[in-house]
Amino acid sequence: MSDAGGDSEAGTPPADAPYVESPIIMTTVRLIAPFVFTYGLFVMFHGADTPGGGFQGGVLVGSVVVMIGFAFGVQPTRDWVRNEVLVGLAVAGVLTFVGVGVGALLLGESFLEYDAYAGLVPHASKYLIELVELGIGAIVATVVVGLYFSLAAGFDRESPRSDAADAADATTAGADGGEA
Amino acid sequence: MTPTILEVALLGFVLACALGAALIEDVLGAILAFAAYSLGISIIWVILQAPDVGLTEAAVGAGVMTILFLLAIANTAREPTSRLFEPIGWRSVALVGAFVAVLALALPSLPAIGDPTAPVVDYRVTEHYLANSYEATGVKNAVTAVLAAYRGLDTLGEAIVVFTAAAAALVVLGREVLT
Repeated sequence: MSDAGGDSEAGTPPADAPYVESPIIMTTVRLIAPFVFTYGLFVMFHGADTPGGGFQGGVLVGSVVVMIGFAFGVQPTRDWVRNEVLVGLAVAGVLTFVGVGVGALLLGESFLEYDAYAGLVPHASKYLIELVELGIGAIVATVVVGLYFSLAAGFDRESPRSDAADAADATTAGADGGEA
Repeated sequence: MTPTILEVALLGFVLACALGAALIEDVLGAILAFAAYSLGISIIWVILQAPDVGLTEAAVGAGVMTILFLLAIANTAREPTSRLFEPIGWRSVALVGAFVAVLALALPSLPAIGDPTAPVVDYRVTEHYLANSYEATGVKNAVTAVLAAYRGLDTLGEAIVVFTAAAAALVVLGREVLT
């Protein structure tokens, strides 16, 4: 496919496609990324009192990394984000949610009964809901980023950090024809 | 209640975008029309006093889905097109039209927007949540109270579905790392 039109939207081609450096997009992203990140955290934290919550805030936080990938290329972004951080955050999110539930069981209440923590934490219900929302946010943000990187790497491409099995899959994908 | 000019304009915009997403032949154009459709719908959600849904629609429907679609066509082929619109398959139109007609039959029985006697408003479960959720959970957003407290187990399942999506993507793509 020749990139005749729509370069700015399709500025996120896979790692080996020509990456077009655009000062406008780079500057814009550099300016708004911190604000989007902060807003995402706000939506996540403040979801208990205003519209929002872990799912929405997590997508916003994840979209910051996606935006940086748009502006500075997928491969540099891929090198900048460590896999351990992504996987660690996603697992920590699940463990937080399940842990809050199991903790209530251990305290002698039903699963996910936030009031079980009433003696330990002031306003137990509110703060544990916030904690659970943060866990959801961690899962959603890392999964958005992970899906972005996974789809960008695709099926048939030799990703520097994936194993040789990718090469074997290349024959089934048959997607290269359009790229030449 | 009569719709305002803004609402009529939004509905027209959403309808046009939906038709565009269905009919534009160029894949990139169809994806962008679909993103615009999601954005319009999210504003309609806000007008309908459902900001939680609107926020999700804007972030996931218009944002993330668009990016994933764009990556999908970047990684496959974008067919060169000669026309703006695809030829219309009238048999599909007849089928979809019949479906819409069936749905439209149910429209008159829906309560008006903002009707205080609508079943969902004065149903006792709704009233129970609105009256007691702050007392019971300590959060002011009743949507969050239902989502995280009353229906916490469902939400745990949802969060794990999202987690599983990443694992499934890795399995399908034969990769071992998220980055």
